[in-house]
Amino acid sequence: MFFDFHIHRDHKLALEALKLGYHGVVLVSHSEELEKHHNLLKSTVDYKQHVKNASGLFILKGVEIKAKNPEDLKRKIQKFRKKTDVLLVQGGNLKINRAATEDPRVDILCYPYRSRAESGINHVLAAEAAKNRVSIEINLKYLLMNRPNQRHRVLSQFRQIVKLHRKFKFPVIITSDANSIYDLRSPRDVVALAACFGMTSEEVTRAMCTVPQEIMERGSLRDQIIVSGACLVKNESIK
Amino acid sequence: MYYEEVMKLKILPTNLREKERYLVFEGISEIPLAREDVISLILGSANELYGSCGTSRMGLWVVKVWNCPDLEVKSMRGIIRCNRDEIIALRAVIPTITWFRGKRVSFHTLGISGTIKSAITKFIKFNHLD
Repeated sequence: MFFDFHIHRDHKLALEALKLGYHGVVLVSHSEELEKHHNLLKSTVDYKQHVKNASGLFILKGVEIKAKNPEDLKRKIQKFRKKTDVLLVQGGNLKINRAATEDPRVDILCYPYRSRAESGINHVLAAEAAKNRVSIEINLKYLLMNRPNQRHRVLSQFRQIVKLHRKFKFPVIITSDANSIYDLRSPRDVVALAACFGMTSEEVTRAMCTVPQEIMERGSLRDQIIVSGACLVKNESIK
Repeated sequence: MYYEEVMKLKILPTNLREKERYLVFEGISEIPLAREDVISLILGSANELYGSCGTSRMGLWVVKVWNCPDLEVKSMRGIIRCNRDEIIALRAVIPTITWFRGKRVSFHTLGISGTIKSAITKFIKFNHLD
């Protein structure tokens, strides 16, 4: 079962992803859009019903937070966490990368390497991401849409993330970040492409199947967790 | 010309021939693509990803391209021949195709086969029936 956890909010993309062999997608809206148009998340739910009735595809709603500084990030996480299934944070800035990996409410840190020479992740952030189970995104659009003469830089950034992933065991997730049908790639092509930055087929399968399922599972338990280590158990489950 | 006609090389014995596989792909694009466009796209992308040395090892050849009539996007299917040992590398080249003459294009692999006949039966004709 393959999942793409970063697709822009369009039901046509969800149907195309189903055609390519995905079992579930996350339709992502930007936090800035949501602050302007409050009913966008509701319309994602409508998409969800429309597409699910047609196909049986697993659809979740996600919010991608773009923050100016760590304080702004915390405020936005507080605002959107309960409204959405998957919470993504736009990285690139080192302070944002650090704040996102330290927060267990964040599901995915998107492109921490954006506009950087190195991967934006070091041993400290890697350890934090592993502790808080924050997934680091390998964004295929960033690789494919970059200029060909810059592709070597992106491949080396991905390779650095894979190296840290093997050492610190933080979750890595591969997404398409698709805006249009031309950005979607079939899962088995992604497995072949990932060999270019040193990922084995088992690691890719884990990044596209197991890690998304873990995020969904954690999301379903999130409402029951009162504080870290304490969980609210319903009466029926005790019986 | 005369020399070529007279001195035609004998075909290599089967154990010395390169082992080949056929990759069937599907492409969608904003503009219709001819076979020559597909050749330049695939060779260009392979060159960008693996360089001349890596591309030469693949032994690429675009066998045939079919254009499928579609209202919304221009879609097509085709077969590429490649050395057996480099088929995963070719599969990695396919998703790196993104632009052609300033227009968006996207390619997906439908499957890999050992012969052209089975490639057509399994992935081209079967999909037309869908």
